[in-house]
Amino acid sequence: MADILALVLKCNCAQLRDNNDRKLTSISGQNALPCMIVGESCNIKTSLLFLTAVTAASELGVRVLFFTPTPFQSLPGLLQDSLACLNPDSLKKITFMYSRSQEELLQDVACLHESVRQAAVPPALLIVDRLDLYLGLQREEQAAAAVHLSALLIDTASFLTRNSEEPCRVIVSFDMERQGQMPWELVAPDPVLSILDRYFSVHCTLDQDRHSGAPSPPGEPGDAWQIYFSGAGNTVANSGSNQGDQILGCLWKLTIRPNGTMEFSPTSMESCVN
Amino acid sequence: MAEGQTKILNNWNGEMTEMSSFLPAVAEELLRDVKKAYQETSQIPDDLLLALKFVFGPSALQALDLVDQRSVTCLSSPSGRTVFQVVGGSGRLYACYTSCHYCPCPAFAFSVLRKNDSLLCKHILAAYLCQAMGLSQQEAVTNQQMSDILSGKAGRGT
Repeated sequence: MADILALVLKCNCAQLRDNNDRKLTSISGQNALPCMIVGESCNIKTSLLFLTAVTAASELGVRVLFFTPTPFQSLPGLLQDSLACLNPDSLKKITFMYSRSQEELLQDVACLHESVRQAAVPPALLIVDRLDLYLGLQREEQAAAAVHLSALLIDTASFLTRNSEEPCRVIVSFDMERQGQMPWELVAPDPVLSILDRYFSVHCTLDQDRHSGAPSPPGEPGDAWQIYFSGAGNTVANSGSNQGDQILGCLWKLTIRPNGTMEFSPTSMESCVN
Repeated sequence: MAEGQTKILNNWNGEMTEMSSFLPAVAEELLRDVKKAYQETSQIPDDLLLALKFVFGPSALQALDLVDQRSVTCLSSPSGRTVFQVVGGSGRLYACYTSCHYCPCPAFAFSVLRKNDSLLCKHILAAYLCQAMGLSQQEAVTNQQMSDILSGKAGRGT
């Protein structure tokens, strides 16, 4: 959920990286709510989710289930430098589930309870990449599928939380549509999104930064994105006083550096550093 | 056996408390009043019936009808996972999750989610009322059956 994303931002921010206090307890507040990463279609969201999984596994030592419709053939290019010094044991805590269809995802999530008693440590983070790809093509079908998948994920996380000392969090990504053909036009309101708001009360929005000239192709050096958190569940976070709340209250900038790595920086440093 | 039953009951009560956090405070308070009144007198007084209708709209009477017909069953599997199964008016089974509001019925999709003019569908409200009144049936299912019910596979197959 959102507090883990705050940890991701903190761990990958040059200004905050020197601070050795990476414990989640130092940044978690009242923002451990289901979170949805939204934005236009691009691979950045997948890379961010991958980084979130790795951060949760390496920094927090928790088991992660990563559901995705497309098998990873290799590490996301944007993360290869970031992950170069990673302990391979950390990656073993991440299980990739390649659910190819809506039915497969429903079944894969629904049967997680079966292995809880056997598993030494239940998963503490459920990630679904490209939730939109699991919703089908018809509007009515999409709404019904969105509600079922969201509710099942949250009900499952609730069950896993009751069977573990660690709360189980849920983060999904969702591609939004654009209102028009031009890339800088506002995204169209999506009826599915308004339904998902009920279940994912924190939104993390990725918006390509087009204010600094012509945008670079997504994922290429020079490409820049704005990241901000919103939603009913983030209102409380913004009013909080701990660092995690302040991180989630900031407007962030994600820059693809010349070597291809992702660098995060808050637009207002004081509020995050203090 | 008794210990297992107690655990199921404790889980169930805990989950209902969790689900109720999705309700407005006035609805939570009303359900607590219904529970208290029913424990003391084995019936729901008229003023609370009116309040149910005021807060939950037409779903209230339909849900009470489902309660009368003992239509709500709390299914539990050896893993400890639970789900409410409600028999609808047409005889169709609806699986309602225990930790957040979800029902696969058309009214939940249309009136609750799309139009946003109802707090709950009659099936979820019936599950709440059955919990408050202690009238829910209990039934054990296998882990595999539970997975099929949660995923909707059981519903799609029938």
